[in-house]
Amino acid sequence: MAKVLVVADIKQGVLKGSTTELLSKAKAMGAETAVVAMGNNIESLASGLAAAGSDTQYIADDASLDLFSAGPYAACVVDAANQFGANLIWFGFSESGKATAPRVAAQLGSACATEITDVTLDGDQIEVTRPAIANKVMQKVKINTERLVAVIRAGAFEADEGISGTENVVKLSAPAADLKAVIKELVFDASGEIDLADADVVISVGRGAKDQAGVDLVKDLANDLAAGFGSSRAMVDGGFMAHNKQVGQTGKIVAPTLYMAIGISGAIQHLAGMNGSKTILAVNKDPEAPIFNVADYGIVGDLFEVVPILKEEIKKIRG
Amino acid sequence: MSPLFMSLLLIVGLAIFSRTMIQKIQLLMALEPTDRANHITERLKNMVVIALGQKRLVRRKKEWSSGIMHAFIFWGFCILIIRSLNLYGEGFVKGFQLPLLGQEFILGYLYASLKDIMEGIVLVMAGYAIFRRVVLKPERLHNTWEAYFVLGMIGVLMISDLLLDGARYNLIMLHNNPEHLHFLNNPQYGSEFFWTPVSVGAASLISGFSADANGLILTTMFWLHIITQLTFLNFLPLGKHFHVITALPNVFLKSLGYPHEKTRLLDLEDESVWEDESLGVNHIHQLNWKQGLDLYTCTECGRCKEVCPAFTTDKPLNLHDFNDTLKAELFDNADNIIKRAKLAATIKEDGDPEQIEAIKAQMLELNSKKTLIGDVISEDTLWACTTCRACEQVCPVTIEHVPRIMAMRQGQSLMAGVYPQELNVALKGLERNGNPWGIGYDKRAEWADGLDVKKMADDSDVEYLLWVGCAGSFDDRSKKVSISLVKILQKANISFAILGTEEKCTGDFARRVGNEMMYQMMAQENIETLNNYKVKKIIAACPHCLNTLKHEYPQMGGNYEVIHHTDFIDQLIKSGKITLTKTLEGVLTYHDPCYLGRYNEIYDQPRSILHSLAKDGLKELDRHGQESFCCGAGGGRMWLEETIGKRINVERSEEIVGQNATTVAVACPFCLTMIEDGMKELNKDEDIKTQDIAELVANNMA
Amino acid sequence: MKILTTAKKVVDVELTLHVENGAIVEDGLQYVINAWDENAVEASVQLKENNGAETTLVSIGGSDNTDMIRKCYAMGIDNGIHIDDPALEKADSFVFARVLQKVYEAGEYDLVITGKQAQDTDNGQTGIILAEILGIPCVSNVVAIDVIDDANIKVSRLGDMGTEIIDVSLPAVITVSDSINEPRLPAMRGIMMAKKKKIQVMDLAGLGTSYDEVSGGSLTSEVIAFMASETRQAGQKFEGDAVEITAKVVDLLANEAKVF
Repeated sequence: MAKVLVVADIKQGVLKGSTTELLSKAKAMGAETAVVAMGNNIESLASGLAAAGSDTQYIADDASLDLFSAGPYAACVVDAANQFGANLIWFGFSESGKATAPRVAAQLGSACATEITDVTLDGDQIEVTRPAIANKVMQKVKINTERLVAVIRAGAFEADEGISGTENVVKLSAPAADLKAVIKELVFDASGEIDLADADVVISVGRGAKDQAGVDLVKDLANDLAAGFGSSRAMVDGGFMAHNKQVGQTGKIVAPTLYMAIGISGAIQHLAGMNGSKTILAVNKDPEAPIFNVADYGIVGDLFEVVPILKEEIKKIRG
Repeated sequence: MSPLFMSLLLIVGLAIFSRTMIQKIQLLMALEPTDRANHITERLKNMVVIALGQKRLVRRKKEWSSGIMHAFIFWGFCILIIRSLNLYGEGFVKGFQLPLLGQEFILGYLYASLKDIMEGIVLVMAGYAIFRRVVLKPERLHNTWEAYFVLGMIGVLMISDLLLDGARYNLIMLHNNPEHLHFLNNPQYGSEFFWTPVSVGAASLISGFSADANGLILTTMFWLHIITQLTFLNFLPLGKHFHVITALPNVFLKSLGYPHEKTRLLDLEDESVWEDESLGVNHIHQLNWKQGLDLYTCTECGRCKEVCPAFTTDKPLNLHDFNDTLKAELFDNADNIIKRAKLAATIKEDGDPEQIEAIKAQMLELNSKKTLIGDVISEDTLWACTTCRACEQVCPVTIEHVPRIMAMRQGQSLMAGVYPQELNVALKGLERNGNPWGIGYDKRAEWADGLDVKKMADDSDVEYLLWVGCAGSFDDRSKKVSISLVKILQKANISFAILGTEEKCTGDFARRVGNEMMYQMMAQENIETLNNYKVKKIIAACPHCLNTLKHEYPQMGGNYEVIHHTDFIDQLIKSGKITLTKTLEGVLTYHDPCYLGRYNEIYDQPRSILHSLAKDGLKELDRHGQESFCCGAGGGRMWLEETIGKRINVERSEEIVGQNATTVAVACPFCLTMIEDGMKELNKDEDIKTQDIAELVANNMA
Repeated sequence: MKILTTAKKVVDVELTLHVENGAIVEDGLQYVINAWDENAVEASVQLKENNGAETTLVSIGGSDNTDMIRKCYAMGIDNGIHIDDPALEKADSFVFARVLQKVYEAGEYDLVITGKQAQDTDNGQTGIILAEILGIPCVSNVVAIDVIDDANIKVSRLGDMGTEIIDVSLPAVITVSDSINEPRLPAMRGIMMAKKKKIQVMDLAGLGTSYDEVSGGSLTSEVIAFMASETRQAGQKFEGDAVEITAKVVDLLANEAKVF
């Protein structure tokens, strides 16, 4: 029987959606589920962690774990994995996940797979599917070790709305701090703004918006919908949007339920960042813009005309 | 008059002049060599037409009046030189006459008349010139004291000679010639004075004076004229009027054939160039003597600035200043350059290595203390150039601006490694995938899918190779042009094929930004492919490709007949292989691409096609044909952001909008991109359609 | 300071890849330096220029990596090693990490800089596993490196919450993001000098190890098949009166896609 340990995705004391998604998949596979959470003052998250679908919660709560540090975080995960007897250890797609997973794998002597889109367990044989070569191909990978540490691609697993778990907290002792890599300072990305990676709806603005007025127009729509506000590279290069707002191959990869590309032509680099979205809406003046090749719904028109109408129509629908 | 005084003046005047000239020539000889002792007949023709004929001044519609003004001053000078020689003669021998110009010959009278009238005209023109500078104040002119001084001297020369003859007339005709002055008097042709109305007119101004006074005026004006002339002669090499002496040779020695001298094929394997830093031009002493002569010859007319797309849009590329600063740097270092050349001459190939090292160290000491790019010419200036050649087209003395800019860029790219880093993306793309966008080479022929286009790899037994180019292969907008062109060729049943994924960028932009290494790599690979397929004739869809394939590949062993697609289509129409319906409505205008027009002199063929298409004919832009205004993408600038001044493509687009055009025809993928972008920025892309000629033809074929 | 950096030869991701019978079609493929390793090489060269470090490049696997290593020489790398062994065609991140370990132990390096991931596998594990094996600190996704002294550096890392400024004790492993720098185009001078430089080529035996040792007896994972990527298809596109079509699309979003 599979025993899946999911590493909780916690940002600024808030439990993020990927945890539920990963646990939903685990339950769907018929596995026993547990969650491991590291941080400071996170004990209150226990019930949430249970509700997300875990039957055991390993919690390492210590001031030293307030900021991410790969060494100590890996140690906690290894601890939980050993205690739980997990054979599958899953991280959500995040920088901390990508930094921690290989360490955990090395310490456990298990295989490590990054950005998997599917996992199957046939008896003892684990197999994963994952993209490779800049998402140009998919690989089927046979895992030769008993255990697998994996980082799951954003949005690869679907959350089960009806999922539930049991509250059963196991406290983990705080691991030794990593004295050789000490985090001195954390310069926050524009705080208070909706995180693109977590938002349900992401609206991105592109060169079609032309200037600040256009950017503000689209931002207005994003605010209306409490959506993440992102950008194509052109607007970042043009100085209209901050660097961390760039959606694309060299920026943020997002997979929201709804992605709106407003005034974005759809260069390959941008598509790489939002291809995984559930539904894509594109607004562009040029009927030949490549974005329409991937958009589920395309509106050919001037965004200055269309965006206000979008606002109105959406307001009507949502009430 | 006074042989002693005359001798003294001549000896002093000419001695000083010779000394100055020797120094100037020594300096040129100390610069790098270049071969111009070829094609003498063609060179003579150029000199006659451009220099003697003042073609670029009198045949230019713009500022025709100032063109005529200068032409007459120049022609006047040529004619009056003969008069001057006569005067020198008279300084020694009273009544001296040059052979064939005496009173026995009609030629003498004709010359006297011509001289007289020209003096009047030159005086008026000099006056007009001063008027232009003081009152009209054209922007391109530099109102230096030198300009006024020289115009003043010309005035003095004319006035003194006219008064000289005037006094002579008075003495002869009014005072019974007490000094027995010589004049032309022949029963057949009459008195000289019938033929010389202007000096007779001048005479009337001083006719009130006594004989003695007139005599004094005569003598004074004579010596004034001689002294002014000798002073003028010695003043020439010191400033912009050096062109009076150097213009004819400069035009004679200009580059032939291809618009200008091919970029010297650099031997990149040669290690010694690193010691001498002689890849490209990195130091002032690395200019060749012709380039030095160019610096001497600038007349400071400012026409280059006027037509330069960079300068017009406020970039710091002021070609007049460019020439001027280089000239100043050259003169500042003149002594050292000459010394250096002398040292270089003492190095023997098989000499003692230690000695050679010592000499080289000494030579190094003589280098200019200023960095050529940095101190003398700024980087922004160097990289602003789009290599459009408008400057070279209008320069009356055929100064070659573009090759020296490219040579300096070579030095920066290859030796200093200092160049706009934005170019790296395009250069890397070239290296890896044979196109500046870096798109996978395997997608180069995708535009042709489903069009039944032959690839050379499948069947190379075709008449023409269609060279598509990077834009036509990868740029979404330009792919449509490639498709149109294929439709036309297929309709006309032309036997052709494309290289497909074997085609690589010709390397044009790499050469323009000075990266000879990348250029030679692309050229070598392409030439190998073309020669393997034994390609003879190429149709090029892009003027930059056309230019490189036709004029630059022969240097590396690639010799092909290359024709631009508009030229080819024109031939197809003329031979009846395709017919057009005159159905294009609206106001049609045409933007001449720099690399098609100025570089390859193809102006008529596109127009001939457009006339066959457009219902209401073609409306020319103000800056059209030879003086077409660049779209801004040449010289590697397609891959660089314009951060200074106004955008060149917007400037050109505004001109097109100003003509109330509804369609603007182009013949180059760069122009297509830049002008379409310009229209978008002006929000006129709905009103004005930018189309390649191939597209217009394909849509209007019968 | 002595730096060890890496350059993996990977397939050019600009090319279109075709999958047939579970394998990638090799015909027409070309191979280039892993883009992230290019960033690592550039970072190493900058440390050499600014801090006088000595730089060694190691390329593991691939055949005929001469051109690639020469280009790195032209960028400024001092020494180059190519571990060329056909056995390495079957490798996972652990194998690469162990080979790197052997190279590391054969020299005396203060800092290992690798790209954060390889463009062919997109795993992003090797550098981190190496650090774990060596028991030295590791920071991944680094965008800036500052040398404090011989034993300490300060790096900036792009984390989930923002930019983390981290003090690292040497020796250490750093994996770099492409945001760290713009790799230079090698200057002509460098290219000419690089032509004469030697490259150390050796197989696993030459390195003093064997495939058995570096694979730990068996690979932790193996790729058993390649499949084509799922491409998104174009959906419905509407042109016409802005009010009409926008209303229609919003209706579809609500009732068809059910996003509202």
